[in-house]
Amino acid sequence: MSKPLRSIIFAMVLCLVCSVLLTAASSGLKERQMRNMAVDRQKNILMAAGLITGPKQLTTHDIESVYKENIKNLWVSADGSIVSAAERGETDLPVYVNYREGRIIAYVIPIDTRGLWGKIHGYLAIEKDGTTIRGFSVYKHSETPGLGGEIESRWFRKNFEGKKITDHEGAFVSISVAKGAVEDAVPVPRQNNYVDGISGATLTGKYLTSGLKDILRDYEPVAVRFRKNMNIKEDTE
Amino acid sequence: MSTATTGIRRKLAKSPSYQAIAQALWQSNPISKQILGICSALAVTVQLNTAIVMSVALTFVTAFSSLIISSLRNLIPRNIRIIVEVAIIATLVILADEFLKAFLYDISKQLSVFVGLIITNCIVMGRAETFAMANTPYRSFMDGIANGMGYGSVLCGVAFFRELLGSGKLLGFQVVPGAFYQAGYEDMGLMVLAPGAFIMIGLFVWLQHAVLKSKGIS
Repeated sequence: MSKPLRSIIFAMVLCLVCSVLLTAASSGLKERQMRNMAVDRQKNILMAAGLITGPKQLTTHDIESVYKENIKNLWVSADGSIVSAAERGETDLPVYVNYREGRIIAYVIPIDTRGLWGKIHGYLAIEKDGTTIRGFSVYKHSETPGLGGEIESRWFRKNFEGKKITDHEGAFVSISVAKGAVEDAVPVPRQNNYVDGISGATLTGKYLTSGLKDILRDYEPVAVRFRKNMNIKEDTE
Repeated sequence: MSTATTGIRRKLAKSPSYQAIAQALWQSNPISKQILGICSALAVTVQLNTAIVMSVALTFVTAFSSLIISSLRNLIPRNIRIIVEVAIIATLVILADEFLKAFLYDISKQLSVFVGLIITNCIVMGRAETFAMANTPYRSFMDGIANGMGYGSVLCGVAFFRELLGSGKLLGFQVVPGAFYQAGYEDMGLMVLAPGAFIMIGLFVWLQHAVLKSKGIS
């Protein structure tokens, strides 16, 4: 056999063996990986809603059971009314509603927005008054560690708790990331609508601010219903 | 009795496997002596548990890639050997990554791209090219394990000090007592950032060179 032919055959056999191995591993482990990802998202929904705190080690099973007890995944149409999962159209938005003893106490909306280097994925929980933020969490991002990466740190997430997405008159203004500390950067009457920024990560803050604004505007009909105390129907199947 | 043990020890010390391992762990440690694999050593040493998982993953990859490449060394056509080595290493790395994602999801999230980047780690490629291509499968396998451990020992050492000094914890458990913080002790923020790793690795390199020099080996 000539030398080049031998090389080509060797390479082809090698590629075949490698790809069979990789395919087997990938398809064999897929189910477990998907479950891990789903649980990770559930964990972050719970973290945003303040039902579990920080990096405390919980087993997969614990997270799933806490999630099942407290959270219900619903869909809402553009005017804020409930759509059943079967009938939902492409424009309908997901809402994770936090129940306690059969009553809604807060709702969680997914935050998927642009960051400086890639997408930022997280959750924002809002109290049933439709204005006060209950919590914020980030489960995936590609920001610079130590700078923009701080968005997933505890202090930055805690920063959101108790802030408002409306002004004093109750009109929608969204929540923004300030440039530096809120106390120095923002005039007193608007401080409730700002969270402390991360030094060295002005652009991450800017993208997060505009992303939050767009997303909260989309969800405004839902928030309005909560503000008017209409509550989105409580006992949906 | 004691002469017998020293005799055994001497014999052991002369065996090629032992010497290869001792070399990799100490005299020619991949990180502190050869200064290879620094990139991942900087990135994954903020916490001890990520460092341990990374070390295990790298040891797995070096050991098995050396084993496979060494068993195929007489079959691999010389002109495409680098490509073959990379393909084998890459397959093992992706396997390691898939397993981490399935069984240690949180840690694999923290390690993010660095498991994938084992492919580019000079230690793996270096061992495959210089050792596995010229030695028997068993020796190559041991050499891979030894080099993985050499890498891991420095990685875990650096991570130990970074986690302890940077966040007062070890393996995620608080070890610096609360009373220290009340007395005014503060965690060293620098240790959590990349420059902290540079300084720590630098100190390890210095320590090792100083010890080797005093023994007259280096």
